[in-house]
Parts: sequence; C-alpha cells; structure tokens
Amino acid sequence: MTKYESLINDLAPRKFGRRGTIWTLILVIFIILGLIAYIDQVNKGQVVTNMRDYALWGIYISNFVFFVATSFVGSATVAVLRLTNNSWRTPIVRIAEIISLASIVMAGFTIMIDMGRPDRLLYLFIYARLQSPITWDVIIIPISIVLSFLLLYFPLLPDLAILKKHHLKTKPTFSKWYGKLSLNWTGSKVQKAIQSKSIKIIAIMVIPVGILLQTIDAWLFSTTYRIGWDSTNMGAYFTSGAFVAGLGALITVVYIIRKVRRLEHYITDYHFDKLAQYLLLTILVYTYFNINEYLIPLFNASVEEEIHLNELRFGEYAALFWFSQIVGLLIPILILLFKKGRKPLPVFIVGIMVVIGSWWKRYIIVTPTLLHPFLPIEGVPESWHHYFPSMHEWLITGATLAMALLIITLFVRFLPVIPIQRIAEEKGLLKTDKKAES
Amino acid sequence: MKNRSTSGSAFLAWTIGFLFCLGLSNIYAQNDEKYRVRLRADYVKIMEGDAYLNIKATAKIEDETLPVPNIKIAVYNEVEGEEIILGNTKTNMKGESRFVLNKPIELKADSTLTYTLGISFKGNDSFKKASKSTSFKDAQIVADLITKDSINYITATLRETATDSALVGESLDVQVQRLFKPLRIGEEFNFTDENGTILVPVEEGIPGVDGNLILEVVLNDSDDYGTVITIINAPVGTPIVNEITFDQRKMWSTRNKTPIFLLVFINLIIAVIYGLFIYLISNLFRISKN
Repeated sequence: MTKYESLINDLAPRKFGRRGTIWTLILVIFIILGLIAYIDQVNKGQVVTNMRDYALWGIYISNFVFFVATSFVGSATVAVLRLTNNSWRTPIVRIAEIISLASIVMAGFTIMIDMGRPDRLLYLFIYARLQSPITWDVIIIPISIVLSFLLLYFPLLPDLAILKKHHLKTKPTFSKWYGKLSLNWTGSKVQKAIQSKSIKIIAIMVIPVGILLQTIDAWLFSTTYRIGWDSTNMGAYFTSGAFVAGLGALITVVYIIRKVRRLEHYITDYHFDKLAQYLLLTILVYTYFNINEYLIPLFNASVEEEIHLNELRFGEYAALFWFSQIVGLLIPILILLFKKGRKPLPVFIVGIMVVIGSWWKRYIIVTPTLLHPFLPIEGVPESWHHYFPSMHEWLITGATLAMALLIITLFVRFLPVIPIQRIAEEKGLLKTDKKAES
Repeated sequence: MKNRSTSGSAFLAWTIGFLFCLGLSNIYAQNDEKYRVRLRADYVKIMEGDAYLNIKATAKIEDETLPVPNIKIAVYNEVEGEEIILGNTKTNMKGESRFVLNKPIELKADSTLTYTLGISFKGNDSFKKASKSTSFKDAQIVADLITKDSINYITATLRETATDSALVGESLDVQVQRLFKPLRIGEEFNFTDENGTILVPVEEGIPGVDGNLILEVVLNDSDDYGTVITIINAPVGTPIVNEITFDQRKMWSTRNKTPIFLLVFINLIIAVIYGLFIYLISNLFRISKN
C-alpha cells in the first residue's frame, strides 16, 4: 500500500461502530421527542411555552443566537486563516465548514419554531419591511445557508472523486453517489482553475457575510429601546462572541472526531496549540467587550440599568451570569495562557466550557432584559415577571441541538472530515504516486 | 262542612296573596317624586359670527348634580310681557344645547333696549317643569393688531351698540385660541379706559400654524351684556414646524415608505450576493462538463 493509499484509508469515511450507532440513536430519540413537543406546540399554540407578555423571546431565540454565533466558525477559520496564510488550518477546515452549515441551517429552523404561526412564514418575504432588522435577518440567513453549503461543497469535489475511485470495488453504490456528487471531477487544469477561483470568491464573501450575519443578529436587539440591548457596542460584541462560540464548538468537535477516528497523525498537538492560541485571543477580545458591556455602565447607570445589572450580578440570573463569565471566559483564559493548558485534552475541556458558557450567555442576553421593560404592564400575574423554559421548550431546543449534532455526525459518516486531496498535495504524495504509477 | 272549610281557606289564601301583591306593587312602583330641573342660559355673541344661547339643564338627584339629557326646551323672546316663541331645542347627553339666534330670528328689545330671552321646559314623568330667562344689552368689541416700537399689541374697544357709548371699567380677556383651553395673554384683568379701550402686548414666540395666531378678545359673562367675543387673525406668532413624518420615507415608516437609500443598498447587496451565487453555481456546471 502506497502512502497515498494509506492516507485515503485513514481519511475516508467509515461505517459507525457500536458507539457511533448508539450516539446516532440517542440523537434521533431527542429529535423525535422534540418533534412531538413541536407538533403539540403547533396544535395548542405557544401557550405550552412559558413565554408570556414579558418574556416574549425565550430559550428559542437565545438558542437561535447561539446557532448563528456558532455558524461564524466557517468565517473564523476558513476565511480568516486563509487570508492570514495560516497553513495549519488544513486538517480542521472541513470540520469547521460542516459545523458552520449545520449551525446556520438549525438557526433557520429555530427561528421558525419561535413563530406563533409558522404557516405564515412566507409573509416574512411577501410583506417584508426593509427597515426592520428582522427582515435583514430573513435575508441574510438564506444567504448564509447557501454560502456555507458552497463553502463546504467546492473544496469537497476532489475528495468525492477520490472516494468514488476508492469505493469502486468495495462499495459500488457509495461509489456511484460519490461520483455523481463529485460532478465528474477529474482534476483537469480547467476544473482546478474554476474550483480555485470559486473558492477564492467564497472565502472573500464569507467574511463580510459572516460579519453581516452577526451584526444583524446584534441589531435585532440593539435597535430595540430596552435596557441591556440598546447599545452601540452590540455589533462588535456579538461578532467577537461568535468567534468564541464558533471556535469552542470547533475545538470540541475536532477533539471528538480525532479521538473516534484516530486521526492523531493528522490533527496533532500542534494544531490544538494553534487553535488554543486563536481561541485565547478571541476570548480576550470578547472579555474586553464584556467589560464594556457590564462594568462601564456601573459608573453612570440609569435607575433601570442599575436594576438590570443588579439582577444579573446578584439577582435571579446571578448564577448563570457568573457561570458564563467565569467558566465561559476567565477560567479558559487562565488555562489557555499556559503551554500545558494548550494540550488536546485541556483544550477540549476548555472548548466544552466555552460552548456551554456561550449558550447560557445568549440566554442571559435575551431573557433578563425582557423582564425589565421601561413601562411595566399593569396587573399581570406574578409568574409573568419570571421566565424559565417549559418542558416543551426544553424538548424542542434539545431537539434542535440534537439535529445540529446529527447533521455533523452524518457528514462525518459520509464525507472525509480532513481534506484528502489537500493533505496529499501538502505532503507531496500525489507527485510520488504519479511517478510510481508511471 | 269540609267543603266550606276548604273554600274558606282558599279565600284566606287569595286575600293574603292579593294584599302581598299590593305590597309588592307598592315597592316596585315607579317613584312618583319628580326632580327639579335647573336651567341655565348664557348669551354669547361672536362679532361677525353667530349669536347663540348656551343652555344647560341639570338636576340634583340623590345629592348629586347630574345633567338632564334629551329634554325639549322652548326658547322665547320676552317683550313687554309678551312671549314670542323663537323655537325649540333638545339637550344632548351632557344636558347641553346651543340655540343659534341668527337670521331669520330677529330679537326685539324692550323700551330700555334690553333683550330678554327665556327658556322653558314643560316637564315630564321624571322632571318638574322649569324656566329661566336672561337679559342683556347688545355690545360690540372692535379689535385690531397694531405695532409700536417693534412690539405687537392688541387694541380693543368695547361699546354699547344702541347708545354707541364706550363701556368703561369692564374687564376684557385677551387670549390665543387653543384646542383644549385658550392661552391667556396680558394682565390678569384688562379694564377698559375712558374710551372703552384696552391695549395688550402680544408676546413674541407664541407658536401658531404658519405663524398665525387666532386671538380672541372676550367680554366674559357680563351681567349686562352676556359674553361678547371678537376674533382676529394675527400673523405675529412663531410658525409651528410640522414634524409629522407619516408621509415621509423614514426608518420608522411603513413598508411602502422605505427610505430610498435602504431600498437601493439592501437590493444592491442582495443582487451582488445572489449574482455571485449564480456565478458559483454555474461554475459547478462548468466543472461537471469539463
């Protein structure tokens, strides 16, 4: 077996083992439970949620914001690292592209789940009011979905052609599908030129579209005159937070795939060290924005802002607030500052901390603000002044997260998670093999 | 014997029942007490405009003064003991009515050149009959806007029409018309001088539509002359800047009034991005064919 064949063997998708099957089944069960809860929600209306006149945005929207933030990983790794000539990105870009696509697709679904009348989805387009950031969101999310798909698909073409050839004798059905999806890729000069040009365009598009997506997401809040949202800081704050959430998710998924697929030779400690440094930088930037957001208003806060900040620091949301700040930001900084902390396992743990911290961070951005409006509503039940998601909301949200993980799992099952062609080129295996063949 | 006792019991029961019903009917019968209506009539004359009677009917019911709506009131002119019917009017839900005294109604004065107008209510099931009269002499106010040393003034002269004599020592109000309550200007009391004239400065900076102020000079509820109002338009105010943006293309307007820059910008972004998408997808076809 040549080195090239060995490389293909290592990186080609593999059938799930027992653990993989159980994992997939668990995800499917979560999705089915969520689906049942969603059907009930559609039948009975959003009364099954704990959203009321005060907390009219709840866990669905915070989950949506989390998905949008995580989808930024495509821009953060593929485009930014490409433009800064960081060649170490090669083994992780495909995983980043998959996470990006899965997240943005689920962001789209989540926003539909939050709609009281999903049958009126088309009205968002037909009766769009272009002044509204919600309309901008409706415009940018389909764009991001298409772009994330193209970002994943174009670099995949050579690998799909390799897999077609690889599975020709062993799995002819798979080979046929890979052949169709590879669009008759032969690696000709013309094809390579078109592909290279297309990837360049996509890589350039991904950054402004990613920033637009994050900024519009932030503007959904900051254009609303509410304490905690009405801030010019929000666009940059959300974008920096998206870097953190996206990289945290990437590190976590990369570590698991590396472990399950035994890819230690391809995704090395060096890659984790680089990812950790990148994550550290983004967490520092995000911490800076957090200081701006939560510390500076203490000096000149209005009464309403003080109530809101006190609620976060000492009140009902203090546990979640401090969790997201300490576990989601400060401890990761302390761990990642040291070289030992940038080894795969600590980085993986940090990745999980960052992802969980990021998820709850979105929750405390969305909910506490809604419970403290400038004009309180008279005579509402006491329970409306508090919000904690109902069982329906948890099940549906759990299902969306499971669905995102299932999309990633299926891509990992059927696609090469590390670009085979590119690794082969970087290692000079293609030339060697061609010489050997000739 | 048994039959007699049964019929006796029946008679007794019937009698008790009848008396009980009588008692009930007494309880539920309409209260015979009629309330007293209080009428009020105020004469108002607007120079070069309408003259009318402001009528108000109230009644004290259970220690509360309430308006009396929907009662018919006759208006008449009393001259030397004779009552000349001018017409009828009906109170609204607030117990108010305005009876306009314009032509073809011609009022007749008595020998002292005093007009007396009476109003009467015939009474109904709930209210007793009532009447009221008001007397007044005709007066007029002539007002003008003048400027002295760059200061604008309202000058107004109050005269009795019949004798063409100036009315001295009467207090005239000068005010700017406003939607809910007029805006008083000048001193609290502006008494007419020996010529029946007042002079009141108009402050600068009073806002008005297109800078026009509608000023009123009012002899208010005089015992002898009623209320006399004259209105003049004075273009000496500060123009109100209309800040309503309802018809403008603003970020807060409706969807059909989207600002042009936003329409252009967003559609341009959409066109560029989807243009690139079409190009990229066509590249996939080109790859497929090569």
